[in-house]
Amino acid sequence: MKPIHVALLLLLTASIVVSSLDAREDLGVDSATSMGQPNGTPLEGFELEQRTEELSSLMRCPVCQGLSIADSPTLLAQAMKSEVRQFLAAGYTEAQIFDYFEQSYGEFVRLEPKAEGFNLVVWIAPVAALLLGLALIVHRLRSSKKETTPIGEATPVDDLDSYRQRVKQEVGS
Amino acid sequence: MSLSQIGLGLVLMALLTTAIGIPVGFVAGATRSAEGLRWARRLAYLFGISMLLANVTMEIALLTHDFSVSYVASVGSLATPIHITMVSLWSSLEGSILFWGLILGGFTAAVAYLQRQGHEDYLGYTLGTMFVVGLFFSFLIAGPANPFRPTPLPIPTDGPGPNPLLQNHLLMIIHPPMLYLGYVGMTVPFAMAIAALLRGQLGPTWLRPMRNWLLLPTSFLTMGIMLGGWWSYEVLGWGGYWAWDPVENASFLPWLVAIAALHSAIVQQRRGTLKAWTTILIMMTFLLSILGTFLTRSGVVNSVHSFTQSPIGPLFLGFLAFCLVVVVALLALRIDTLTSEPSEDAVVAREGAFLLNNLLLVTFTFTVLIGTLFPIIAEAVRGVKVSVGEPYFNRMAVPICLGLLLLMGIGPALPWGRASRAQIRRALLVPIPAAIGGLALAFLLGGRHPSVLLTGALAGYALWVTLDQASKPARARLKKGESLPTAVDRSFRKAPRRTGAYLVHFGVIITFVAIAISSSYQVNLEASLTPGQSAEVGPYLLTFDGIQLIEKPHLTSQQATITVAKAGKSKGVLQPSLNYYDTQREPIGTPAVKTTLTHDLYLTVMNVGEDGRLGLRAIVTPAVVWIWIGVVIMVAGTILCLLPSRPVRTTKSVRAVESAA
Amino acid sequence: MNRTVVLVGALIVTPLIVVLALSFGKDPRAIDSPLIGKAAPTFTLRDLDGDVVALEELRGQPVVLNFWATWCQPCVVEHPLLIASANRYEGQVRFVGVIYQDEPQDIRRFVSQRGSWGPSLIDTDGDVAIAYGVYGAPETYFISSDGVIAEKVVGAIRPDVMASILGPLL
Repeated sequence: MKPIHVALLLLLTASIVVSSLDAREDLGVDSATSMGQPNGTPLEGFELEQRTEELSSLMRCPVCQGLSIADSPTLLAQAMKSEVRQFLAAGYTEAQIFDYFEQSYGEFVRLEPKAEGFNLVVWIAPVAALLLGLALIVHRLRSSKKETTPIGEATPVDDLDSYRQRVKQEVGS
Repeated sequence: MSLSQIGLGLVLMALLTTAIGIPVGFVAGATRSAEGLRWARRLAYLFGISMLLANVTMEIALLTHDFSVSYVASVGSLATPIHITMVSLWSSLEGSILFWGLILGGFTAAVAYLQRQGHEDYLGYTLGTMFVVGLFFSFLIAGPANPFRPTPLPIPTDGPGPNPLLQNHLLMIIHPPMLYLGYVGMTVPFAMAIAALLRGQLGPTWLRPMRNWLLLPTSFLTMGIMLGGWWSYEVLGWGGYWAWDPVENASFLPWLVAIAALHSAIVQQRRGTLKAWTTILIMMTFLLSILGTFLTRSGVVNSVHSFTQSPIGPLFLGFLAFCLVVVVALLALRIDTLTSEPSEDAVVAREGAFLLNNLLLVTFTFTVLIGTLFPIIAEAVRGVKVSVGEPYFNRMAVPICLGLLLLMGIGPALPWGRASRAQIRRALLVPIPAAIGGLALAFLLGGRHPSVLLTGALAGYALWVTLDQASKPARARLKKGESLPTAVDRSFRKAPRRTGAYLVHFGVIITFVAIAISSSYQVNLEASLTPGQSAEVGPYLLTFDGIQLIEKPHLTSQQATITVAKAGKSKGVLQPSLNYYDTQREPIGTPAVKTTLTHDLYLTVMNVGEDGRLGLRAIVTPAVVWIWIGVVIMVAGTILCLLPSRPVRTTKSVRAVESAA
Repeated sequence: MNRTVVLVGALIVTPLIVVLALSFGKDPRAIDSPLIGKAAPTFTLRDLDGDVVALEELRGQPVVLNFWATWCQPCVVEHPLLIASANRYEGQVRFVGVIYQDEPQDIRRFVSQRGSWGPSLIDTDGDVAIAYGVYGAPETYFISSDGVIAEKVVGAIRPDVMASILGPLL
């Protein structure tokens, strides 16, 4: 038997329904109305698979906890992923596809918060914390350089001294 | 007397013991009375014993299927195998809190016993603080989360059994206790930090025990986090080991801060500086443990692991708020007593690296914390639910981890104290060839991602420095004419902590590299196969042989048999399955994994069609096993650090090398 | 007393506790549907008899769109209520079911035993469920006569809820 490669086996739709109906019939949701015309170029083959994985890993599986639809084995996630694949194959862009899922599931569906408005907090705060910390360290280094006393004249704290004493004894024994 | 009554009686005893222990401990701490301290220690033993017996009582109830005890009625089942029944003590909320009580009791008694000498200045306050935490947990167990409540009549003859996910894999038996040992263990350094603040000093009789009591739970956390990742990999079936799930993050937060605290404690020991900072970090470790527990138990975040919403959430939040206020108040009143530091000479070189290490670790902590809490914050502010998931955390974590890897290289290479620019330059330039080697190796092995190439270079550098530093004392001894085994043995016995620390670094480098490789070079395949059909993934040819139905109590399993071949040679059979539990609609897949030293082949069943078609997902991930190996090395290193150093005959020149290193 | 510590401490502690406290009583999984007040996504599906049903053709009457399955216990529970409601509002409201992750033959068997309250549509690829933002079954969408989603109910619906939502839509 000839091995079958992944790219040829795109249409892994969830086994929700095994119906006698002709699947190619134009049934289902009329997504074109809400999505409009595709703004990008239709993808196929390896590129299609790659983009599907990329986008799917950024989209939250609504019924699982924190997993992306790329990782989740649930039926809903698999159905969503196959929709992503269809949209990409039809030439829709990343933004269009995200907007479509956001219409029904809300911002929740984005696994990475959109960097706009209040969400900027989660993107900027860590960087701000890092810069603040750096500033504190620089300040500390500067001020400690100023206070530098020559070696030998430094007066170590008493408890540290006793510790050193003990280390000396230990080493000497 | 029924087991319910005995259990509750024992918990009430623990409650009473801790309530008495608090004033006894703090008075003994304030008056430095030896008699008071003896009483505080006795109460600590009593607390430990009450908790132990309470847990034993629950185990008896579980094993004898005494469904008159409410907890047994909610998690027990006659059909559950005996080892699962035993561990169902921590499979559900009430039982897990009882188990926490046991660990806390154990830690309190252990501190009372092990620190009976040499730590007297602080022990009263330390035990007093631990009793406060003990009182809170005893109260939870006695009241709101009482697992010993009598079951309302009629008493059932059988129960539902524990959560199916727990029954799925043996790792789940050891993963939670490890995490609990880590979380609860953080109470000890916290109590010691409170004691130091109350006493207004941090001497060597504080620092050394504190560091060991911080190392111990940190190594438990390390192990717990790794086992959690491993469990997630082996059981959950999505092919990954870390999803930045809120509860995973909750265990990661205290771990990060504990690592930061361990490093700043080194500076404190070496230089007598950073005392207040170390104290703050230690207290943050505990507070983050409590926050993590709160997140896990309260159901406010969406997570795989969280227990259902329960009334103890607000209590935990109240306790967290109480601890935070006490900590801030104590710091405000006493921090100035800890800042009398010597500013001997310029804080350069190595100290600078330590400061940066702390900065990166704390930034990392802050990032994970804000990412975890942001959905709650956004909902409070905007009223909109947002998700902060893996892509966000990965984007933020990668540069921070690269920074840490860089510091792991340059930090240990730098000299302590004052050093000339030339010295520093030389110390930093020597390992450069190793960095180039690492980069070349990464490239030759097919690495093209910038982050992977950078990891290769930084890892090469860090590896060189780590090995160089670790072997320095032994090399000095060799030069003095000692034989190789003696030199190694002596330098190790002289400073096991030093060797341990570099071993930990070694493990971290391995883990970092393995994570970089495994997350960048996965090969993924989704295929729909009829029996007899084959599919190719990476170097493997997978042939689907058929599906078997396996009936077990409480579950039905569809097991696929897949023959694995590589380059025409059979590599055995893998049998991933889909399990349908009676209580759940959505099946839970059990992956089948073939692990080799270079890569893992990971198979999961996505679905099985009516006509017997198999929806198969196959993932080939390189280097996964090295993540676990790296963590095991880290834990081994930590254990070395816990060993006491023993005096060894040392010549002067060797000592010079050792103290400079 | 170190004022900086008090200030910084208060700045960290207060918001943290407030935010965590606010999150109580909110189910992290209960998410308001962003579709409420928006036009209902239009679709064309076949029912169990193979007849094509298009949502747009149902305009002019309110539609109760129920996503359900035989494996879902709350769906079984609410089934009699849906039958009763379909009878009560006959001619005023259209009741339409969409099969969620279930096999048509199971639905057929179920309906032949327990009665039917409306057509059950076969959502071949699951894309109708996705367009409506369905998380699980049962979920019920109330669509006004001009095709706007007025309300969404998650879980088994209660008679009083049904009446109070349908009232203004009639």
